[in-house]
Amino acid sequence: MLLPKKYQIIILASILVILSLVMVSYSVKHPEKSGFFRRLVLATVAPLEGMVNASIKELGDLWTRYIFLIGLEEENRNLKKRNDQLRGRVIQYQEGYLEAQRLRKILELKEQIKYRTAVANVLGRNQFLSSRTIVINKGTSQGILVGMPVVSTQAVVGRIIETSWNVSKVLLIIDENSNIDAIVQGNRAQGILQGNGPRGCNLKYVHKMDDVRKGDAVISSGMGGIFPKGLLLGVVTGVSKKDADLFQKIEVTPSVDFAKLEEVMVFLIGKEADR
Amino acid sequence: MRYFFPLLLALLLVVFQITVPDIIFSGKIGVELSLVLVIYAGFYLGFIEGAILSFILGFFLDCLTGTISGLFTLLYGMTFIVAALFSLRVYAEEFSLIAVFTFACSLMESVLIIFFYRLIYGVNMVHDIVSVFIPQALLVGILSPALFKIFHTIEVLLNAGYTKSAERF
Repeated sequence: MLLPKKYQIIILASILVILSLVMVSYSVKHPEKSGFFRRLVLATVAPLEGMVNASIKELGDLWTRYIFLIGLEEENRNLKKRNDQLRGRVIQYQEGYLEAQRLRKILELKEQIKYRTAVANVLGRNQFLSSRTIVINKGTSQGILVGMPVVSTQAVVGRIIETSWNVSKVLLIIDENSNIDAIVQGNRAQGILQGNGPRGCNLKYVHKMDDVRKGDAVISSGMGGIFPKGLLLGVVTGVSKKDADLFQKIEVTPSVDFAKLEEVMVFLIGKEADR
Repeated sequence: MRYFFPLLLALLLVVFQITVPDIIFSGKIGVELSLVLVIYAGFYLGFIEGAILSFILGFFLDCLTGTISGLFTLLYGMTFIVAALFSLRVYAEEFSLIAVFTFACSLMESVLIIFFYRLIYGVNMVHDIVSVFIPQALLVGILSPALFKIFHTIEVLLNAGYTKSAERF
């Protein structure tokens, strides 16, 4: 280029910043719309993520099953190998049994629920900086749309924030950007359940006069138009009241163990699904 | 093909950084390898290719993690520009300088993330500065010299025949 290096940077900088700001403002105005390229990246990455997770699991298994045994006597090694083979088979059977149990629970839950639902497998977990999301193996082809609630057999997991053709991204309730209208089951005190990252969730805007105790269940209030009423969100694990504050500080531990989540169920409800 | 592999590697890097450190640190802190690559691009790559790489890395990260589309694209673009301007004035080969600069960039990025979340969603993430963002910036700063070496090796491998950039090290 003929321009001096300094001006090249300025021009390039301006283009980059303007383009990014356009993206940010479009995303803020239309959070429900994911563009073609975003869908494409999500669809491409989902199997890659699955492969990375599977490889790590395999490496962990290899370490615990084989490398750890190096240095033992030959006979001992053979016995251990045989033992491992048998254990592997038992684990396989156990896995099948547990999967059947989980699927049965989901099926039972599905029968109790009056909404149309879709069962999906968790492909990957993304917990990076401020974001707490999971990727599931169902997308627009299976009727999944942005805003639909996602639950597990235990409780609410989150809501769909982005969809591709065969995969979707779920914003977990522990994400700092997640806000759910909730009530404390015992005394019906209403508040907003906001994600608090690895520390779980906080129930905000509950008046100091309301009697909230440790162990109280927190359920969805049905307001806000995303989550149906009465779904379990978590359990109160800490309550603190300060004289100067109008509201009390309530810590809530979600009832879902997000690290062990394998199957989820999406409620096929929402403004777009009702059309 | 020359542009396909860097693109694929960038995608793999982003996938790696959102999955593997999550398992190691149980989701408490992340290791932003892509930020180090953006700084590396600012220091050693040409303006056009460095800017495109930063833009793509930011876009990938936006697609896979961020809830605000374009946030990382913007932050990475800004980081690339700062790194490129910095490299014009400073001889950025010292490991300590790379580490300190990466630490500063990571910290600045965290401040901007907090600012944008506050501005757009009204979410207050200031309490995460000490427990999440500073450890993350420290970790990425410490790892950056080694990562620069790795990126340089990959650059040399990808540009076999284009040895110009390799000779700078």
